[in-house]
Amino acid sequence: MKVNGKTVNHTLYASLCGELDESCAAQVRQQLDTLLQSPDIGKVVLDLSGVSFMDSTGIGMLIGRYKSLKAREIPLLLASPSSVVDKLLSLSGIYEIMPKIVG
Amino acid sequence: MENFMTLTIKAISANESFARSAVAAFCVDANPTVDQLGDVKTAVSEAVTNSIVHGYAGQENGTVEIDVRRSGSVVHIEVRDHGVGIADIPRARQPFFTTKPDEERSGMGFTVMESFMDELTVQPNPSGGLLVRMSKDFGAPKKRTE
Repeated sequence: MKVNGKTVNHTLYASLCGELDESCAAQVRQQLDTLLQSPDIGKVVLDLSGVSFMDSTGIGMLIGRYKSLKAREIPLLLASPSSVVDKLLSLSGIYEIMPKIVG
Repeated sequence: MENFMTLTIKAISANESFARSAVAAFCVDANPTVDQLGDVKTAVSEAVTNSIVHGYAGQENGTVEIDVRRSGSVVHIEVRDHGVGIADIPRARQPFFTTKPDEERSGMGFTVMESFMDELTVQPNPSGGLLVRMSKDFGAPKKRTE
């Protein structure tokens, strides 16, 4: 899975691309945490449009990032999940703490 | 049409993608929708991940066995391991229950399997470990999960 990120006006735009499951969760967690370490961030938008598959391992990983950002009072938003990923995220109730945005 | 497939994989997370893709490829013949196929892939991934992460706790010498049987528009999937099993299965099936909160586990695995498939049973594997059975009817109207 590929992880990219860039910060524009204090917003970190990070994107995930590929399949997110147990086999890559640790690597994705580490790469995201490296991006999130920047002190210049006031908001994080995670673009999920490139995620072709995710299981509940991904939910655990997202909640972990949410917790560390919440401690810094930084909101996390999820952008453009595919329908299969959206179904999983909706089921989990995760949008209540990290809202979904389009585009 | 009646058909079946048996797959035995080494219990490592690198095999999860192969396992769910192989089951999905088998199911294509039953003419599922894209959404239904996504449901099956996700449910299989949950069951296999559970065997690897919980059943074998990351030990790489275990195996996960996956049987898929098709009967008309219905597919029956069995995922078996020979790991530590689950002492309290009803409790483990509760949403957000996890034995590994420190590892950022969501505890949603069985909830996902139950929601994405038509039927789910979880029981001890008679030869030790865990046996997960689930089925989905690709001819059935879309299941409401709300």
